[in-house]
Amino acid sequence: MAADGRSSKKRKQSQTEDDTAGTFKNAVDMEMLSEEEDGANVESDDGEYEEFPGIDGDTDEDDKEVDEDEEESEDTDLEDHHVFPQAKTIVSDITGQQKRVFPEIEPDYDSDSSTEDGPNRVGNIPMHWYDDLPHVGYDMNGKKVLKPARGDELDKFLETVEDPAAWTSAFDKNTQSDKPLTNEELELIKRLYENEVPDAEYDPYEPTVEWFTGKGKEEVMPLSAAPEPKRRWIPSKWEKKKVMKIVRAIRQGRIVPHKPKTASTQPQFYAIWSDTPSEHAPPIPAPKPALPTNAESYNPPEEYLPTPEERKKWEETDPEDRDRDYLPHKYSSLRLVPGYDRFIKDRFNRQLDLYMAPRVQRVKLNIDPESLIPKLPSPSSLKPFPTYKSLRFSHSGLARCVSISPDGAWVVSGDEKGMVALWEVNVGREVKRWRFGGKIGALQWCPRTDTSYFVVGVEETIHCLVPPHLSPAVYQATQETLAPAHLPPSSESASPVKWTTPASNTWTDETPLLTIRLPPGSGLPNHIAWHRKGDYMASVSSGGNQGGVWIHQISKRHSQAPFKKVKGNVQLVQFHPLKPHFFVATQQYVRMYNLSEQKLIKTLMPGIKWISSMDIHPSGDHLIVGGYDRKLCWFDLELSDKPYKVLRYV
Amino acid sequence: MASTSSGPSCPIIFTTQTAYPLPTQKYMIPMNWKRFQLSQLVNKALSLPKPVPFDFLIRGEVLRTNLVEWCSENGVGEEETLEVEYIESVMPPQKMTEIPHEDWVSSVTCSIPGHFVTASYDGYLRAFDYSKTSVFSLLAHSAPITSVCVVSRSSDEDKPHLIATASQDQTAQLSEVSFSADHSQKTESRSLAKLHLHTAPVSSVASNESGSHVLTSSWDALIGLWDTSIPDLDEVPEPAVPERERKKRRKMNGTDAENKPRRKAPVAVLKSHTARVSRVTFGQDKHTSTAFSCGFDSTVRLWDVENGVCTQTISASEKPFLDLTLTADGNAVAAASTDRTITLYDIRSSNTANVTASMGSLSHPATPSCVASGSTVHQIISGAYDGVARLWDLRSTKTAMASFKAWDGRKRILTVDWKQSIVGIGGEGGLEIWKAAEDTRSVE
Repeated sequence: MAADGRSSKKRKQSQTEDDTAGTFKNAVDMEMLSEEEDGANVESDDGEYEEFPGIDGDTDEDDKEVDEDEEESEDTDLEDHHVFPQAKTIVSDITGQQKRVFPEIEPDYDSDSSTEDGPNRVGNIPMHWYDDLPHVGYDMNGKKVLKPARGDELDKFLETVEDPAAWTSAFDKNTQSDKPLTNEELELIKRLYENEVPDAEYDPYEPTVEWFTGKGKEEVMPLSAAPEPKRRWIPSKWEKKKVMKIVRAIRQGRIVPHKPKTASTQPQFYAIWSDTPSEHAPPIPAPKPALPTNAESYNPPEEYLPTPEERKKWEETDPEDRDRDYLPHKYSSLRLVPGYDRFIKDRFNRQLDLYMAPRVQRVKLNIDPESLIPKLPSPSSLKPFPTYKSLRFSHSGLARCVSISPDGAWVVSGDEKGMVALWEVNVGREVKRWRFGGKIGALQWCPRTDTSYFVVGVEETIHCLVPPHLSPAVYQATQETLAPAHLPPSSESASPVKWTTPASNTWTDETPLLTIRLPPGSGLPNHIAWHRKGDYMASVSSGGNQGGVWIHQISKRHSQAPFKKVKGNVQLVQFHPLKPHFFVATQQYVRMYNLSEQKLIKTLMPGIKWISSMDIHPSGDHLIVGGYDRKLCWFDLELSDKPYKVLRYV
Repeated sequence: MASTSSGPSCPIIFTTQTAYPLPTQKYMIPMNWKRFQLSQLVNKALSLPKPVPFDFLIRGEVLRTNLVEWCSENGVGEEETLEVEYIESVMPPQKMTEIPHEDWVSSVTCSIPGHFVTASYDGYLRAFDYSKTSVFSLLAHSAPITSVCVVSRSSDEDKPHLIATASQDQTAQLSEVSFSADHSQKTESRSLAKLHLHTAPVSSVASNESGSHVLTSSWDALIGLWDTSIPDLDEVPEPAVPERERKKRRKMNGTDAENKPRRKAPVAVLKSHTARVSRVTFGQDKHTSTAFSCGFDSTVRLWDVENGVCTQTISASEKPFLDLTLTADGNAVAAASTDRTITLYDIRSSNTANVTASMGSLSHPATPSCVASGSTVHQIISGAYDGVARLWDLRSTKTAMASFKAWDGRKRILTVDWKQSIVGIGGEGGLEIWKAAEDTRSVE
């Protein structure tokens, strides 16, 4: 469709002025006609030629206009008569690439040339039907459209001589006139002559556009437009063979269809309880495979995914040691999940499970695991307990023993160099120190509150020392206790232990007020224990033949060995606070004696390899024993010989 | 008051109790400001002739970092309006001098102007003037002295001062000391009276402002009240001497019959504590007839001294108290305990019988052994066993305003005293004197 907007407008004008004007320049359809037809047209035109000027020659102006129009249109035809709207190639602002831009379409009545035809409305019919007629068709109003005037052969020749464009024009059968060909049409003809693709715009060698290859365009799934194979829709040969085999068998009587079941072969109803029940246990159901968890999902939650460290650790451990035999893996969609690579192995393991499973029903213990955990009290309810080192008391040597005064204000400590130091607890100041010849074995403060002194066990002796700065009343009471003005009568039985008090004029703070000399060879007193009332004191020495145990009575200044012979190595002794009972701890046992009846009450077995310490509760009912093997045994004395509870240091 | 620097800002309302009030309005303060910029802002806003440094308290905490960090630490959004109180800054304390002692210093007092009176574990009472020269030393007790206080300081230089000491020999003592500032006259020191009541070491001694009465506290859970008149005769008889020592004593008595200190009996005994009383002190100003005591039975008790009854008991749990001080306005008591805290108790609400709620507690990294109040309302100083003295502002109980190490932090601090910007610190290493500028303006 090569209707130019401007020329069609002009044509319309000319039509409104004179409908019958036969200016068919701007034909819509164009046809290359053969020489014959051309010639026939020319002949047929001749007859009508006379009428034409009469109709046509109304106005000179019109003619002139038409002529001008013709000239103009010829000029313009050369330039802008296009088969297609001319596209311009410009550089896009956005992409920077070259692009083709087509002229804007103006949406008015003339814009669509497809709806309006030329004045000839005969349609697409063979035009030779009108060869013998003076008109070539009818216009919209039903009036005849006359054939345009055509010259004779001479005119035609002259035209070819005069008009340089004549040889590039072709006969338009719809308008029955010659029409010059446009550049595009000429180009198209030229291309056809050269056996090229007629479309000038078509580039047969344009670069390949990689629609489905290259980076980012990989097709994961095989999408194929291949036609379905033929075997999908032709009947199967093998099925036919199978069916034929069955058909043949039926024909030969080998297969009897709808064969009735005989009653003799199978009893239809029978008593299921008639058989004696089996002696065997019912078969145990096969072990159930573990159900898959969330971690085995193809799209597990993020928290199930292993971190690189976990993945590395999993890969480094042996397959037998792994806690699970897979690693969670996340796929964005189900179609991306690859084939299951462990399928064979899983099946094999399952078979192993079934085959190797011990067919024994194991009775599960139905115990709440929470009940097995001992109930621990909260630490806040156990307060106060030491949490913080407030002060530090520094000894020059190894401090071996320490004792706190009954009022809690003073602490006395002894070290291996023979030094005894008295400290003020609150500020950690050393108040006084005493020096002795040998190693200090034991120290114990007298529990009496009306007097104030402590005993120190040095090699074969026990000294009673008085702290300084006592109130006169307490000091006097202490003096009266340790060095009474009138010595008590010495007991009838001679004791190898000597009690000595220096003369009163030599008393100083430095020297002991009372010294108890144990028999020679008894060694270092390792342990000293006071009775609650502060009159009796027991000491355990490392040597000596009575187990080294001595009980001293301060008020009577008398010592006695309670045991003639003691089995084992005595470690510790302890007085019962209320009853006349006496505890003796050897390396592994604690024996409980009644001192007044002089007999063994019971032997406690803590189960400790080597007893290191022992103490009794002030109520006298509970005894706690500690050992070097980091155990603490708590005895309830009324209950049994065995520990009520065993605590263990971690 | 538009903010000049960029960055987020938060609304702040300034309040103060100082003499430099700002109009109450919201200020948009950039979040990256620190104390310095805030102080500059207040100074500029008030157009003070002489710049006054300020510290800033936000919710009971001194601003040490910038506002952003404070907000992020305390979880405060930027949109919230902060109420910031500003106080005048205290300069960090500076060490003035060091006076070494032969033994530990158990108590120090700076009450006598120009002098420090120290009591030591070797039983000596010593006095030094500001040029570190020893003014006098007196062997007051045979046992370590635990506490010293100046009972009456005479304004006249030549008149003797009356000094009370408490000792572990279970007595307290009143001593008369006269020394002159120009060292022209010889110092005289004399023991006047021994106070006999306690049967255990006396832990502290305190006198009222007029110097008419003295209180002693002891490990035997008793508090003794004494007047300071010296009797002509012994009020307490000599203890009965056993037969065999009598001869020796008589020989000694003959020598010092005249100068022997009188044996004095208490006016009243305050009994209510159930364990060792560690500190007793008189109230000030309006509370002159009130005594405050604390002890190892985890109680702080208020006493009506005239009637000798306990008027109020503040019971804490598991807090053996070591020392106590009244704040300068007498409204609160700060008591140091062995659980490494100093607890503040408001004592104004006297209508309730038992006050247990504490206003706040100052936590220490080591056991605070002593506490003393400055002359301003909000400031106290504490010394601890780790050798660090800490200066606290009671409005900011979370962290100390300043802390400084005595003897490089290697030795224990046993006592502190703070009078007129002089801090005396006594302990294992002797005596150290520090200068801590205290705000004297707000005293008036």
